[in-house]
Amino acid sequence: MLRRILLLAGLASLIGFGVFWWLTIPATVAASALPAYQPNLANGLTTFNAGGCSSCHAVPKQDDRTKLGGGLAIPSPFGTFYAPNISPDPNDGIGSWSEADFVTAVMKGTSPSGTHYFPAFPYTSYQHARVNDVRDLFAYLKTLPPVAGKVRDHDVPFPFNIRRDVGVWKFLFMDGKPFIADASRSAHWYRGAYLVNSFGHCAECHSPRNFLGGIVSSQRFAGGPNPEGEGWVPNITPRGIADWSAKDIAYFLESGQTPDGDSAGGSMVRVIRNTSQLSPSDRDAIADYIKSLPPVDGPPKPTRKADKTDPS
Amino acid sequence: MKRIVVVAAMLALSAGAVVADQEQVKKTQGMMKGNGKNAGALVAMVKGEKPYDQATVDAALAQFEDTAKQLPTLFPESMKGVKLDGDYAPSPKIWEDKAGFEQHIASFAKTVSEAKGKVKDVDTLKAELGVIGKQCGGCHETYRLKKG
Repeated sequence: MLRRILLLAGLASLIGFGVFWWLTIPATVAASALPAYQPNLANGLTTFNAGGCSSCHAVPKQDDRTKLGGGLAIPSPFGTFYAPNISPDPNDGIGSWSEADFVTAVMKGTSPSGTHYFPAFPYTSYQHARVNDVRDLFAYLKTLPPVAGKVRDHDVPFPFNIRRDVGVWKFLFMDGKPFIADASRSAHWYRGAYLVNSFGHCAECHSPRNFLGGIVSSQRFAGGPNPEGEGWVPNITPRGIADWSAKDIAYFLESGQTPDGDSAGGSMVRVIRNTSQLSPSDRDAIADYIKSLPPVDGPPKPTRKADKTDPS
Repeated sequence: MKRIVVVAAMLALSAGAVVADQEQVKKTQGMMKGNGKNAGALVAMVKGEKPYDQATVDAALAQFEDTAKQLPTLFPESMKGVKLDGDYAPSPKIWEDKAGFEQHIASFAKTVSEAKGKVKDVDTLKAELGVIGKQCGGCHETYRLKKG
């Protein structure tokens, strides 16, 4: 009898492990899935600016946004991530990558060696990009200066350091659906929606996350505690910025100045360094889309009283 | 008895320090709010919501200059960890990286003094406000925390 139970338990765990293994196979894009294509470098630059690549991958504490040697520390509740080198250096960067490697990394969150990237890399947003935009970006990145130097490993403790587990996370929080045009809206609005939800990856910071680090989809764009540590990320639905006009939003993305004369702070400063390089038309499109978001209440902010008892 | 006097004196002193800190916090916040108000007036002109007005520009630049002068004293060590009202708090990095913070102040002061006399119309204002705004953001990026 005991033998039978043990046998059954062993079988069940074997099946369980099989399902886990099958579920967490890192997805890839095959080179054969990419038809011949002449990349557009100008669009690659636009994509680079919209994607905010340099916000994390540029070498910290220097002003050249095109030196993508990485190294920035990105704190999170799961450990500290270090942005890798994505300069065209063949040894330390992505110089030896194929185009399919790059498309796979950006849109599937899978490395050339077939492991899952941690979702600190916002592929949950980038998955909605158009493949040709990603190919243009790859061609553009290839024109940037190579930066030597490998970035240190992430400092992520057990159990989060098991890459295969990220497969389960992707199963839960990554839908893999392309971004679909809303026929009832203008092309301008759609452009804004596309930029915000794919490359712009605005929701990655401007949404609360659950205990697994997945975005709470019902509160998308409604802000929440800063995942990088202290402070609060603002609600950018009309619940948070109802008194901002579309023009105010566009000007903020250009200059970092809010309508009341305040300036952007924290990570948003790095975002502005990118959005200030976009075309006025793209910034207006983003503003139009942001203005059209439904009003959503975010998680409750800490009260002043709690502030006093909280030593942080 | 002696001990009570000493303890009382110490308590009174530390209470005094707390009051002084609160005064300092109010002064600092007032100064920054003034900057925001002035910058907001300039932003409105750049956006074409208000007509260009040289007096407003001059007043704003003068206030920025005054801020740049006072900034080194606006965040004394005693303010570290003081709980304050409002949406923002000074980051501990102000005191951990004093040299970096002071470098930002010097850079802001230089930018403001260079902008003075250059701004004559909406176009020059737009150009200079962009440069000054980068200075504000450059410092707020690292040394200011958003609380709510």
